Amino acid sequence: MTIETSNQCMTAAAAKALLQQGLSCQVNSDLPPQFQVGDLVQAKVVHPATYTRLPRYVRGKVGTVMQDHGVYVFPDTVGQRLATKPQHVYSVRFSAQALWGQAAPASDALYLDLFDDHLEVP
Amino acid sequence: MNGPHDLGGMQGLGAIPIEENEPVFHSEWEAKVFAMSFATFSTFFPVDETRHAAERIPAGEYLSASYYERWLAALELLLTEHGWLTPAEIEDRITHLRQTES
Repeated sequence: MTIETSNQCMTAAAAKALLQQGLSCQVNSDLPPQFQVGDLVQAKVVHPATYTRLPRYVRGKVGTVMQDHGVYVFPDTVGQRLATKPQHVYSVRFSAQALWGQAAPASDALYLDLFDDHLEVP
Repeated sequence: MNGPHDLGGMQGLGAIPIEENEPVFHSEWEAKVFAMSFATFSTFFPVDETRHAAERIPAGEYLSASYYERWLAALELLLTEHGWLTPAEIEDRITHLRQTES
C-alpha cells in the first residue's frame, strides 16, 4: 500500500469547498499518449477481482478513439491504494451493434472514458 | 471486480423509478451518512477505495439496498478494515442508540 492519506479530520470549510468545487483527478504531465484520435483500440479482456473502470460488456470489443482528455490518476490502482499511475484518458466510441449485436440500432453508439491501461491495439 | 454494480446489459431489473421533485435526502439518516462519508473522502480513504468498498457488498444485499445504505455499508467496511473501529464497537453503538432513542 503506497498511497497514504492524511487521516486528519476535514474542517467544515474544507468540506464546503470540496462540495462546491469537486476534486480534480487530472495530472499536469507531459506523459505521451499510447493512442491517437482516430485509432482503433480494443478493450482488454481482463477480470480483475479489484477495482476497475472497465465495464464487463465492453471487454474484448473494438472502438475508435474520439478524444484525448489528458492525463489523470488511474482509479484501478488508486482503488487499491497501490499507486496513482497517471495516464491518458480517452473518449472511445463503440457502436451499439459492436456491443449488443445486430438488433441494436445501426446509428447508435456509446462513448466510454477509458484509460491507457484498459486498451490495446486490436 | 465483476460485482453487482456492473449492471450494463443486465435484464430483469424493471423500470427505473423516477420521483417528481425528488428530495436530496429522503430522511435525516441519509444526510448523516453523506456527511460522515464525505468527511473521509480523500482525507482517510481515496474515493475509488470507497467505491470499491461499496462494490464488495455481497451481491444480494447490494441489489436490494438503497443508495445511502450502500454508502453506510462501504464506510463501515473501510473503518473496520483500516482499524479505526471494530465491528463490535459499531454494534455497541447501535444497541446504545436503540436503547436511548426508544
